[in-house]
Amino acid sequence: MNEHIIEIKDLKKRYDEGKIAALNGLDLKIKKGEFVSIMGPSGSGKSTLLNMIGALDVADEGTIKVAGIDLMKTKDLSQFRSQEIGFVFQMHNLIPNLNVLENVEIPMFENNLNSKQMQERALELLKAVGLEDKIRQTPNKLSGGERQRVAIARALVNHPSIILADEPTGSLDSKTGDIILKLLRDLHEQENVTLVMVTHEPYVAKMADRIVYVRDGKVYEEDDKID
Amino acid sequence: MSYFSLILKNPFRNKTRSALAIVGIAVGIATIVALGLVTGGLKAATSETLNAGGSDLTVTEANSNFMSGTIDESRVGELANISGVKNVAGVLRKTPIINTSVEGGFGSFSVNGIELDKLSVVDIEGVNGSLFSPGSNEIIIGKTAADSLDKKVGDTINLFGEDFTITGIFETGNIMYDGTAFTSLDTLQDITNSPGEVSTIYIQAQDDTNLTELSQTIENTYPNELSATSASALTDRINEGLSIIDSATWAISLLAIFIGGVGVINTMIMSVYERTREIGVLKAVGWRSRRILGMIMGESIVLTLIAAVVGTVLGILAAVAGLSFLGGEISPAYSLDVFLRGFLVAILVGVLGGIYPAYRASQLPPTEALRYE
Ligand SMILES: Nc1ncnc2c1ncn2[C@@H]1O[C@H](COP(=O)(O)OP(=O)(O)O)[C@@H](O)[C@H]1O
Ligand SMILES: [Mg+2]
Repeated sequence: MNEHIIEIKDLKKRYDEGKIAALNGLDLKIKKGEFVSIMGPSGSGKSTLLNMIGALDVADEGTIKVAGIDLMKTKDLSQFRSQEIGFVFQMHNLIPNLNVLENVEIPMFENNLNSKQMQERALELLKAVGLEDKIRQTPNKLSGGERQRVAIARALVNHPSIILADEPTGSLDSKTGDIILKLLRDLHEQENVTLVMVTHEPYVAKMADRIVYVRDGKVYEEDDKID
Repeated sequence: MSYFSLILKNPFRNKTRSALAIVGIAVGIATIVALGLVTGGLKAATSETLNAGGSDLTVTEANSNFMSGTIDESRVGELANISGVKNVAGVLRKTPIINTSVEGGFGSFSVNGIELDKLSVVDIEGVNGSLFSPGSNEIIIGKTAADSLDKKVGDTINLFGEDFTITGIFETGNIMYDGTAFTSLDTLQDITNSPGEVSTIYIQAQDDTNLTELSQTIENTYPNELSATSASALTDRINEGLSIIDSATWAISLLAIFIGGVGVINTMIMSVYERTREIGVLKAVGWRSRRILGMIMGESIVLTLIAAVVGTVLGILAAVAGLSFLGGEISPAYSLDVFLRGFLVAILVGVLGGIYPAYRASQLPPTEALRYE
């Protein structure tokens, strides 16, 4: 398991007409199946880093290769996002007029699946996150933790190779947050999916195989934990 | 869930806003449909009235109202001798006082006196039952009149103080005739005390006759006495009026497209704006720009199609109400054409109104969309 699924070298990204350097020559390598926590002060570039890995945005300079794809050279990245990446945001970002099942089905529209196959796969994931009895509920009827479970199911539904979680427990109380975290970690192990998670909580970060500290758009410390 | 059912669901998220947009477009569609139905009805009615087999020229007393006026019966025979004339019928028209009104007829119920062998000139080729005998109190009545007077063959009807036996019922398809009755000219002249009088003379011309020249000849022969109108001249004048209404319909359609389009653009831009974050999520989960574009365009077309259905129903109601207000002699002309026009305009509005908001949505940078509060 030495293969790197994420290889980032000297990555730079500026916003607001160059006034803000969100990434300032960042280097990072992540192995396939690894669980990495990203920590750092607010505004240090953690979300920007995740967005670059997930191809939601394009860097100005440097190299970034994810799942064998050079993201600086690929034009249409929607297929990459659909096949390789699952996002979990701080806000659940569920679609309010769709029920739980339909929300989980949304990423599968780009795969050539029929409605029945889509539903079967979504149900499988909803069972895995323990929501099989709430599939017809709309998001506003769910608790914060339940919503985040739906978001996790949605992130995993297309069999991604990487889960990018940006402060997934940031809007939850600590008890609920713990449950969500353990769920993410368990699913990462079961599905053998790479997990990159931004968090502010040191005890949360410690669950990971490795902690990466980011400051001013750079990695300034990597903490390889010895299990 | 299918992509299609997702598109169907979204317009109902903000019901008030969608309803307003739908009403706006529906009013436009309703106008188009209503005008289409009414002009179609008018066209059908005039061509029925004026082009129905019967006569080519209508001769009336000069300077008199189309429906009143009297002509000396001797003119009937004289007109028959003018070259180019094939057949001539003098008709005396009288309006009896009866208790029941005739609905769906052309004006009030009138009784026409005509010579038995001239019935074909007024387009009556046959009857259900038998024709009247000359000089008798026998009468044939039109289908529309029979229906609203609730009369059938063999019944009697009291007109001008005399009992008439209904011997037959006819149907020409011409609203001018079907709401009336025909009896022997002699009888009607007798009982209404109008000896030697007719109201109108109908002329059938020979096939190669120039109708304009013929009517000129008649008017020159009887200056200040007779006036002749060719059916086709009348049709032309009416068609001219109708084509003005047609252009107005198109102008209104364009206006409806424009106003409806602006309404849809506005509605969809607001909808996209409110769902900025959600569109960011759709991109994050791998939706192609094209799919987002299609979704918003689809939602826009769903809105305008609903408006098309609502507008069509409103348009039909308006046309029916309007025409019955005008007396109910003309019925709306339901044609696929009119409804297709309404739906095409609706789809056009949906596409035109949807393009820009859909394009905007599809081009939203995902990171900015996701940062959107
Ligand atoms: N899309 C954007 N437009 C403008 N500025 C941005 C954008 N994304 C991030 N930034 C800026 O870049 C810096 C890093 O942001 P971010 O990566 O979100 O930090 P973190 O997630 O570590 O708090 C911040 O100063 C932020 O305001
Ligand atoms: Mg952040």
